[in-house]
Amino acid sequence: MSKVRSYAWLAWRAAVSHPLRAIGRRGTGEERFLASYAVERLAPTGLDVRAAAQAASACISCGLCESGCAMRAAIPAVRDLGLHAAFRLISKSDEMLARSGDALAACTTCTGCETLCPTGVPITRLVRLLSARSVDLDAPRRAPPGEPR
Amino acid sequence: MPPSTRIECDVLVVGGGMAGATAALAARDGGARVVLVRKAPGSTGLSGGAVSVAQDPGCMPDTPFAARAGVVESARRIAATRPGHPYRLLRDRLDRLWNAVEFATGQMSEVLAPPSGRNRWLLTPFGHAHAAAACHRSMAAGDLAEVRGTLVVCGFEGHLGWDPGLIASGAVRVRALGGPTPRAVLLDLFRWEEGALGRPFDLARLLEAPGAAEEAGRVLRRALQRGDAAAVLPAVLGIDPATRVPERIAAEAGIPVAEILSDLPSVPGLRFHRAIEARLAAAGVEVLQGEVRSGAGPDLPAAVGGREVLARSWVLASGRFVGGGIERRGELRESVLGLPVLASEGPFADPSVRFAARPPASLTLRDSRAPQPLLAAGLRVDDELHPLDAEGRVLHPRIFAAGAVVGGHDPSSDGTGMGVAMFTGWLAGRSAAGRGA
Amino acid sequence: MAGADRDHAYDVVVLGGGVNGAGLARDCAMRGLSVLLLEKQDLACGASGASSGMIHGGIRYMTSDRRVTESASRDAGYIRRIAPHLTFRIPFLLPFATHEEGSRLLDRVAWYATEVYVGTYDLFQPLKGGKPSVRLSADELYRIEPSLRPGLHGAVTLDEWGIDGQRLCLLNALSAAHHGADVRTWTEAESLVREGGRVVAVRFRDAVTGEHGEARAGVVVNATGGWSPRFGRSNGFQVPMRPGKGVHLSLDRRHGNYGIICTAVDGRQMFLMPHEMESIIGTTDDDFFGDPDDLDATADEVEYLVDGAASLVPSIRQARITRAWWGVRTTLFEYGVEEDDLSRDHRILDHAAEGSAGLLSFVGGKLASYRAQSEELADRVVAMLGKGVLPCRTHEVPLPGGDEVPSPAELAARHGIPEPVAARLVFRHGSRAREVLRVADDDPRMKLVLCRDEGILAAEVAWIARHEKVRRLQDLRRRCRLALGGCGGLDCARPAAQIVARELGWDADRLRAELADLLEVGWRERRPVLDGWQLAEEELLRAVHRGLGGL
Repeated sequence: MSKVRSYAWLAWRAAVSHPLRAIGRRGTGEERFLASYAVERLAPTGLDVRAAAQAASACISCGLCESGCAMRAAIPAVRDLGLHAAFRLISKSDEMLARSGDALAACTTCTGCETLCPTGVPITRLVRLLSARSVDLDAPRRAPPGEPR
Repeated sequence: MPPSTRIECDVLVVGGGMAGATAALAARDGGARVVLVRKAPGSTGLSGGAVSVAQDPGCMPDTPFAARAGVVESARRIAATRPGHPYRLLRDRLDRLWNAVEFATGQMSEVLAPPSGRNRWLLTPFGHAHAAAACHRSMAAGDLAEVRGTLVVCGFEGHLGWDPGLIASGAVRVRALGGPTPRAVLLDLFRWEEGALGRPFDLARLLEAPGAAEEAGRVLRRALQRGDAAAVLPAVLGIDPATRVPERIAAEAGIPVAEILSDLPSVPGLRFHRAIEARLAAAGVEVLQGEVRSGAGPDLPAAVGGREVLARSWVLASGRFVGGGIERRGELRESVLGLPVLASEGPFADPSVRFAARPPASLTLRDSRAPQPLLAAGLRVDDELHPLDAEGRVLHPRIFAAGAVVGGHDPSSDGTGMGVAMFTGWLAGRSAAGRGA
Repeated sequence: MAGADRDHAYDVVVLGGGVNGAGLARDCAMRGLSVLLLEKQDLACGASGASSGMIHGGIRYMTSDRRVTESASRDAGYIRRIAPHLTFRIPFLLPFATHEEGSRLLDRVAWYATEVYVGTYDLFQPLKGGKPSVRLSADELYRIEPSLRPGLHGAVTLDEWGIDGQRLCLLNALSAAHHGADVRTWTEAESLVREGGRVVAVRFRDAVTGEHGEARAGVVVNATGGWSPRFGRSNGFQVPMRPGKGVHLSLDRRHGNYGIICTAVDGRQMFLMPHEMESIIGTTDDDFFGDPDDLDATADEVEYLVDGAASLVPSIRQARITRAWWGVRTTLFEYGVEEDDLSRDHRILDHAAEGSAGLLSFVGGKLASYRAQSEELADRVVAMLGKGVLPCRTHEVPLPGGDEVPSPAELAARHGIPEPVAARLVFRHGSRAREVLRVADDDPRMKLVLCRDEGILAAEVAWIARHEKVRRLQDLRRRCRLALGGCGGLDCARPAAQIVARELGWDADRLRAELADLLEVGWRERRPVLDGWQLAEEELLRAVHRGLGGL
């Protein structure tokens, strides 16, 4: 019995209230979608970012890159995280990336890391790309003052 | 392509790890013109400081060090018991194993201590005693079979990732085998106000600085007691051997000082990698950085970066999965020439089983301690190290394979990785240079 | 019997430390009952820890009874209220696919129906803080998710919450303990003691110490999930259920920020979705009548999942899969029904008629409804005991750390730690991240970042060992995801083990045994998916742990 009622209700929604709801709405589906999620750092992932992520997946966390990294000169909190956090932590999620601008900015693009990577991760290129995306991700959050949590 | 970019040589070695370097140096030793192509440090650059060749497979855990078989005899015993192992394949030439080890370690003598023919027993950060036919010079004084009296196992207060108590307990377990009495000591060094400093490379650089090793030596001396015969420290005693960090600490402390083996990240690995690079350069091996892209084998030009290499013989020493010589992308394959991956350990050594395409779960055993066929995957070779096809035919008379790209052994379960690399590298390098063994 | 001095009398003894057992223990303890929770392994070792980790609002019940959807959505909101730090939003895309070129009228009607259906679900979204759905055209869809295969006709979107199911389970147990419950992990209930047709006590054995004990109980609740049929058989009662094996795959990183609903080769719905720092592909659902202690993911299960995800996202075949993991669902028993159509409803069985008065079993249910299920169970327990004066408050009292979500940026600045690490710390510990960082303030060495995959501080490991009921090293897999990532504990397992050993007073032999155990569990999960770079990682891992560590 409740099943019959449920379907009747859904049919009414389909015929009347759903079309009505569409009338009052502003913007395209895409605009409304992005407006909902960009403020929470849930932005679309482009194919260039995907390609970079796939290159970063080759990291086998051996740590050899850090011996050739000039980031040692950075502030302690950044140094603690180390270079290979770029592939193991920072590049894994946009939320981490958006919080890592300073760590990525500490890269001097000396390429000392790259020549030591056993699996050939293009480290310098990746760090540059991640750095750019970390800025992009933060843009919508900086714009509106009272962001929802 | 302009002719200046073309290099003609006798031997092209693919891979710059222990096997490739040994092959290149052995070929060079035979007077050949050698080009070595490598894309990056392979697993040798990640090694912990031990040169593991063979340890006696038959002895019991309680067999005293002194009663254990020597390195070559141990390799013979492995050859007798492990059907797929390269030592088995090369069993008629095992009398030359020691020549290979002496040649390779001699070439790297800046870093490696000369081997004695029996295994040294070195502590690891896991509190395990590990057998090594040779080791870094900085580690030789920590041989558990040699130290008489008390062994001081030192950690640094600021080095959180390293527990001398755990390591000393490993030494306690082997005391009955002829090992020393260990004592764990935490040295009050490297405590920093601003936070953690647990990274081995940072510590190694700090100790290289003038005065730092001497200071460490003085702190160590204050911690010493009567009967202390030697001290072992974390493997962070300098990256560059020329900075003589262990010697400087020992001079201040008045006691022999050694590093224990390293896990990752590995300072000894980087040290070893650099030593190999330096030795190749000194020996006149031309080293190209890059990958062999289009190469079909001897007498055909291979593209490397912007260059073209034409070689009479090839030595494939491209490693296994870390090195990239063997890869699995849905199916196992050899990555440079696309050779068939046929060899493994255990039941899959049977060539009638289509090995390369089997799912990983069927190529592994549930007990991680067992030798794993998938991790022993590689090329099948004949006793002259020619790679074979599925029918057992030699693919090319002047292609040789050396090191981990040769399958049939899971080095982490038998401790023969460096030995196989040196032996097959030496044999392949000599054969490729036309000297035979 | 041995250990008689350990005997105690409890109002209720809960068997099973899954989310239902832990939730029940919390509810009962908060109502003023004396509670003992027994778990033979660690908390969340079964289906709770192997669930997809979602707090959904029950969208699938709208066709049967919209009140179920309403209460499920409201309960999702409660979980968000009591553990805000542990939840994260997952926007889903439901792409419109056809197998032929173009679309027929019937397809378009079906898509409109989907749009209306999800749009109707929007009515319940405010109850759980969800965002409204939208319909996307094909062009819009490809701009939002360019990795989708060509030929799709648009999509609707759906908003749900993800959660760390293992920590949810843990927090319930910790809260129970805070309210006076005895929580014993690695302690197996061996048998029930009966007197005159009543279950009056439980005999148990501590798997770590080997000690035996007996606890008297007013009511015993069997919440052992997939282990129920076996436990029932050996203890003289019956728990009919149709256990189903569910396998998930983890990727090494987030494939994107949106979940994608796919159709598997057999027509089942499955998903590829971002979850914390990784993406997961799930799930299989197959009848399973074997031993729940002896499970592995098989090659065809892995292939089934990869195939299903690749049907919409072809490039997923190039992604790095780090592990496969599995659990046994406890769906209600029905004969002659496909696995997927089995009800995710739950039932409370009273075994009085089998000569076991005072014994209840809980069967079925889902992670998202654990709180409501626990409340219903606790009501039954209270009715049977005839005591327990306080009302249920599990929907309004925050779980430990859930009272406030500190700002990671602020914590990072104040304590001198990297901000991403602070964010992970806040995610796992909520307001208690401050307590964790106090450990680092007291000893600056503890600011060492032990794991660069998960952002685990040495201080966090020490704090967890002290405060989160750690008895084995592998418990840290579920507390902070130690050694769970693609690296398998390559550079963190040993230092973390050393810290735990120091906190818990383990000697070196115990430490080595625990380390070997931790690595063995990880190997079992990676074994079915060793390919590509994960295989290279395994070679390295093996060289270090097996070769160098002798483990």
